[in-house]
Amino acid sequence: MPNTTTDTVRLTIDGTTVTVPKGTLVIEAARRVGVMIPHFCYHPKLKPDANCRMCLVEVEKMPKLQTACSTPVAEGMSVRTATTVVNDAHKSVLEFILANHPLDCPVCDQGGKCDLQDFSHQYTATTSRFVETKRIFQKDYFSPLIETQMNRCVQCLRCVRYCDEVMDVKALAPVGRGTMTEIKHFGTHPLDCEFCGGCVQICPVGAITSRLSMYEYRPWMLKRAETVCGYCGDGCQITVQTKDQELIEVNSAQGAGRNNGDLCARGFFGFHAGSHPERLTHPLIRRHGALVQATWEEALEFVAERTGRIKAAHGGQSFGGLISGRCTNEELYLFQKFMRVTIATNNIDSSARYGHLNGLQAMRRVQGTHRWTVGFDDIAAADVLLLVGTNITESNPITGLKVKEAVKKRGAALVTIEAVEPSIDTLSNIANLSRHHFSVPATHMRNAILGLLKAVVEQSLVQPDLLQRQPAYVNAVTRALLDISWEDVQASTRADTASFTDAAKVLAGGRRLVILAGQSLLRSEQGYSGSLDLFDLLLLTGKLDQPGCGCASLAEENNDQGAVEMGAVAEFLPGPCDITSRADRDRIMKLWKAEPPPNGGASLVEMLDRAGAGILKAMFIVGENPVGSLPAQVRAEESLRKLDLLVCQELFLTETAALAHVVLPVASSMEKSGTFTNTEGHVQAVRPAIEPVGESRPDWEVFVALSILMDAPLAYAESKDILKEIRSLIPGYGSLGPAPVPPKVDRTAVDRYLSEGYQKDLTSRYRLIAPKTRPDGTVQLELVQSLFHSGKLSTRAKGLLQVEGRGILKINPLDAARFGLVDGDRVRLSNARGEMTTEVRVMERVPEGLAWFPDHFSHAAIRLFDCVIDPVTRVPSIRTTSVSMMKVA
Amino acid sequence: MLKEKYQKEIDEILARYPVKRSALIPLLYLAQRDQGYVTEPAMKEIARLLGLTPSQVYETATFYTMLNLKKVGKFHIQVCKSLMCALVGSDTVIGWITTKLGIAPGNSTADGLFTLSVVECLAACGTGPMMQINDDYYERLTEEKVDRILADLKTTGTSQLKSGPFMWPERTQASG
Amino acid sequence: MAAPQHELILLKNMTQPGYTGSLADYEKTGGYQALRKTLGKVAPADVTATVMKSGLRGRGGAGFPTGVKWGFLPKDYTGPRYLCCNADESEPGTFKDRQLMERDPHQLLEGIVLAGYAIGAESAYIYIRGEMVLGSKILERALGEARAAGYIGRNILGTGINVEVWVHRGAGAYICGEETALLESLEGKRGLPRVKPPFPATHGLYNKPTVVNNVETLANLPHIMSRGAEWFAAIGSPPKSTGTRIFCVSGHVKRPGNYEVPMGITIRELIYEHAGGMRSDKPIKAFIPGGASAPFLTPDQLDVKLDFESVAAAGSMLGSGGVTVMEEGTSMVWAALRLMEFFYHESCGKCSPCREGSSWLVQTMRRIVAKRGQMQDLETLSDLCKNIAGRTVCAFGDAEVAPIMSTLKHWRQEYVTLIREAEAANLIRPEPAGAKH
Ligand SMILES: Cc1cc2nc3c(=O)[nH]c(=O)nc-3n(C[C@H](O)[C@H](O)[C@H](O)COP(=O)(O)O)c2cc1C
Ligand code: SF4
Ligand code: FES
Repeated sequence: MPNTTTDTVRLTIDGTTVTVPKGTLVIEAARRVGVMIPHFCYHPKLKPDANCRMCLVEVEKMPKLQTACSTPVAEGMSVRTATTVVNDAHKSVLEFILANHPLDCPVCDQGGKCDLQDFSHQYTATTSRFVETKRIFQKDYFSPLIETQMNRCVQCLRCVRYCDEVMDVKALAPVGRGTMTEIKHFGTHPLDCEFCGGCVQICPVGAITSRLSMYEYRPWMLKRAETVCGYCGDGCQITVQTKDQELIEVNSAQGAGRNNGDLCARGFFGFHAGSHPERLTHPLIRRHGALVQATWEEALEFVAERTGRIKAAHGGQSFGGLISGRCTNEELYLFQKFMRVTIATNNIDSSARYGHLNGLQAMRRVQGTHRWTVGFDDIAAADVLLLVGTNITESNPITGLKVKEAVKKRGAALVTIEAVEPSIDTLSNIANLSRHHFSVPATHMRNAILGLLKAVVEQSLVQPDLLQRQPAYVNAVTRALLDISWEDVQASTRADTASFTDAAKVLAGGRRLVILAGQSLLRSEQGYSGSLDLFDLLLLTGKLDQPGCGCASLAEENNDQGAVEMGAVAEFLPGPCDITSRADRDRIMKLWKAEPPPNGGASLVEMLDRAGAGILKAMFIVGENPVGSLPAQVRAEESLRKLDLLVCQELFLTETAALAHVVLPVASSMEKSGTFTNTEGHVQAVRPAIEPVGESRPDWEVFVALSILMDAPLAYAESKDILKEIRSLIPGYGSLGPAPVPPKVDRTAVDRYLSEGYQKDLTSRYRLIAPKTRPDGTVQLELVQSLFHSGKLSTRAKGLLQVEGRGILKINPLDAARFGLVDGDRVRLSNARGEMTTEVRVMERVPEGLAWFPDHFSHAAIRLFDCVIDPVTRVPSIRTTSVSMMKVA
Repeated sequence: MLKEKYQKEIDEILARYPVKRSALIPLLYLAQRDQGYVTEPAMKEIARLLGLTPSQVYETATFYTMLNLKKVGKFHIQVCKSLMCALVGSDTVIGWITTKLGIAPGNSTADGLFTLSVVECLAACGTGPMMQINDDYYERLTEEKVDRILADLKTTGTSQLKSGPFMWPERTQASG
Repeated sequence: MAAPQHELILLKNMTQPGYTGSLADYEKTGGYQALRKTLGKVAPADVTATVMKSGLRGRGGAGFPTGVKWGFLPKDYTGPRYLCCNADESEPGTFKDRQLMERDPHQLLEGIVLAGYAIGAESAYIYIRGEMVLGSKILERALGEARAAGYIGRNILGTGINVEVWVHRGAGAYICGEETALLESLEGKRGLPRVKPPFPATHGLYNKPTVVNNVETLANLPHIMSRGAEWFAAIGSPPKSTGTRIFCVSGHVKRPGNYEVPMGITIRELIYEHAGGMRSDKPIKAFIPGGASAPFLTPDQLDVKLDFESVAAAGSMLGSGGVTVMEEGTSMVWAALRLMEFFYHESCGKCSPCREGSSWLVQTMRRIVAKRGQMQDLETLSDLCKNIAGRTVCAFGDAEVAPIMSTLKHWRQEYVTLIREAEAANLIRPEPAGAKH
């Protein structure tokens, strides 16, 4: 932000004086003083193109009218936006733009929210002088989700520019020349792209619209709700538009939320998940083996009564609870309170266990925070970025946009460690923007990190005074790294020493270095140790506590961060505070008027084991589906079948819910109030867009009802009351919305780590993972994120299913040739644990020897995997396995 | 695949520019030379060679009139109809050719030999009426000349009447 | 044939009997001497100074002082700089660059190396219009000769100076003659003019400092460098229009063609003394002095001097030097339509006034010529022209309205007559007021 007078400029607009930062465009300066200059092609996110000529204004001492959208302010400049000359110019430009426009407003979905309509209303005569024949484009089918009506196009190219400058997708092309220029895409097939919907949102007229809501509404008929997307951890602010109980359209206003109005396919086209016909609408109770419809009263009493008996007989420790990181903070908080107070057990876990805990525990251990010390703004402002284990667009698309902004707009240097190979296809590929890319599969990602660390110490890029202050730490790490041989690093990363050296120099040279760790690292066997090594990288280069620097682990589910902060995992009380911390226990006890159970609780997999062993008798599972998500080896189904009571709160009858004694239908995030905490630690309000579907209720109401029936009332009238309690207990929940300042590293924690904290697992996490040799005929099967889905919920969204409707195995062209496969062929994958058959798609971005299968359709694949559990964080890793592949008819 | 066929030429083209994309039009010309027009697979391959999306190749290809995305005749006759040529009879020339070949501008003869197009100024305004056929200019056209040219092309595939290095009026210092 | 003798500069070599344009021929006439005298011997800044002193102005259309343009390049900037030779010659009525390239390619190449040296550009691209296949082949051959002889490439004549030159063919787009559209096209993109500022001098090819100069402009450099700024500055009508111009005479004249004359001779002299007067000796009805983009002028302006200022003062422009002459009996509305058809075909479509305006204008003009016009069309035409001029991204907008505006100004009656005939023949019912919106 400019502070000194030298970075600001004073000018007058229609007589009003305004001071703005150097480089501000006249059109923006005018906005500051409430002067709205009409425009079509200008958009704050895009480089000025000044093609529509609508924004012409008079600038003193300039003979010609100037385009306000492309003219930067100058000291003492005097701008006039309302003279007759300017008005005539606006009129005439509009007359030109309207000349060929079909004026089909009555059947145009943009009608009522159309810049062209508004400006015409403002400027032009009611009759047209244009008596010639209007241009007509032949209409051709564009895509399943996006509709184009080129006769309405004003050729501002905002869609094309957005698709390139912001998305880096470059799917759209202005085709032809002159008046016959139309927006198309390459090829005879329908548009195939990221379907971010950006072109729909940014089109100032009705030329590009969404097919999901085509002809279904007039804007003024719709009810709007400002809420937060329920898919990934980016936590985009969305406006959900509804007609009665019907979801019509989702969009996001320019400037709104952490996403600044940008969305991805999931946010823009994925809003129908909750309206899927299979949605549960009534409670179900198992009678004579079958789940049958019941009333809420019956269901709740059944649960309360059964719970009471089991607790009396076997105690709280015979219970376990599992909740999804898709629930609101209020629900997560209340759930753990319910389990800890009403049931009296610490056997609690949430989806954060699947990987997010790895990053978070590393963060706590090294810098004593549970949140990032950087935010999205720091990512966009970074001059050097290191991405590890994430082709970020696919897992966290909006965080990805911040990275793209840093690289494309600000020329930041990007270093990436991620399996994906650079290649240009229909989705943006972060490796294409990378200056130093290390294509290393998840199984060996840590080796690449160690390569960078080794280069740092060997190039003496270690911050000098760190050596002064903490010689023991530096020497220990250095020694460990010198023990590693470059040959081994190269063998397992397929990258040479020089590229590590160069990359290390880039990283050490950065002033604002941000490291992002994604799912392929966090959910891997090395999720925890790899994260620690990344923190060591920041420490050694002296950046950990520098402004604008930090290491951030990306949350996959929308509220994984909240789940941990609410204490919905065994090892943490709300805060998160260590379950063992006396001081915190006392604080919480005062508020709860009850002591949380002392002993550490069981994690997800441990609970299942105990259930299998008959120690655990009952489980409450909220929005999670272990049977569908965990490999056979964990024997989830077998264990759950042994329970005396399994209660599932669900939107759909999942594999797990199908085993339940009681299934309770609950509301989706479109149907309830509360808060989500996004990956960067922003607490944001969730607001209902429609009434709960059928008899479903918000999860938190269920916990309240049960507690009352069990005579240990957790009395909350609405979710706001829960938030009040959360505020009194957990810092950072005081205010919603506006950006909080990210926390600073906790010096004492860092010193503790540097003096002895680093030691315990040093040797193990500084050991290279030996390269695996795979026998011929096999590939390394990996579960990966798809841009078009998030968890399994999105696989119920009709829009997204049109883009990606089933699990397809993605393989490298060389392997395709080796196995004689082409797009659409079917293969059988098998190993000792089982087999599956699936369809293949050949993609250059897949590295040779790997085969990618989307996590979201993993049901058939999951049994082929085994599960390695991290001894410290108890995170089960189930992302990779070796299978033999064979073509089948 | 262009790459196999023209490896050397492609490398030579790429070597001229510090930024790969600059080689786009030269490579599109190469593709057109190879197939007679720019095919979809060719655009895909060029995109790969230059690290562009096919859409980026497509948008450029469609901007320029000399790049054909559809088949054209073996001989592409382009008659200039801009004012300067029109002043000296280009419309008449178009008339002749239309009748001689029996095709209206924008069409090709059944045998796929000739395509007739009417185009804008080709920088031969002093020597109009004129036309371009494939790479060659033919200027100061008369009816006999047009007949000879078409005949030559049919029979020999080329014609001596095409222009050489241009200078008009043809004069030397002596003749002033 | 009593054309008064002016000393030829640019066309001199090629009018020598038997001159082929080969390197050998060029060297015989003293070719590449300027380069030998200049490279490494005269400081680049002094070359620029000389060119400034010579008063040389751009021959591409805008007539911007060449030395001044070079002076705009950032002095301190150390990265790469580029020179682009604008050989897109597409302005209807213009065909001089073609002759300069096909008949005396080395004269141009020597000029390019001199310019490259002056502005510190190690790579130069000749952007030649795609249709000129022969021209590009001739240039390629000449480049081969010059490279072999060490006049072009790395370490030219052992001076340690590098100027590499490439031929880059356009692919059919008039707009690519506009310098920023040319740069876009050279970058492999659609030829859409850029919004200026920034100007090529600071953000040109690949966003690097760049100079774009026309073929004829550059061809003058060897002569200026070998014979001196003063010599050049004395030719033509100093101080503002120095040197010769190659005028491309076309239309209803006896001897159309390229005539190199000192700037400042009258149009009458050019037409009657050089181009042999009017074909079939009809009187002149109208002429265009500087290519399709230049407003039409009338016979009573025949004595206007052919220099930048005089032609501008007469209400037109010297432009690209394309002089098109029309005899009595030519329909001015038809002529304007022909040019409008051209501009409609060539509008790149980037900005609304030009894109929509050109299609509107051409359709209205077609109606009028087809005798389906109506009186209010005339007002609409001039309104539209006014609304396009000065409001577009590039100068194309001003160019495309020139024919209609100027013919409306001088020959409005012809429009009126056509419309009257239309109404009389009652080929149209008066149109309704127009669609509501
Ligand atoms: C629409 C348009 C077309 C142009 N076409 C040409 C052209 O064909 N050749 C040319 O040399 N300059 C052309 N120009 C002028 C160039 O933009 C530029 O001014 C010129 O090449 C600069 O070189 P000079 O200073 O040597 O004249 C054109 C300008 C416009 C606006
Ligand atoms: S949907 Fe998104 S990615 Fe696809 S074309 Fe539009 S802007 Fe580009
Ligand atoms: S908004 Fe300025 S030209 Fe379009």
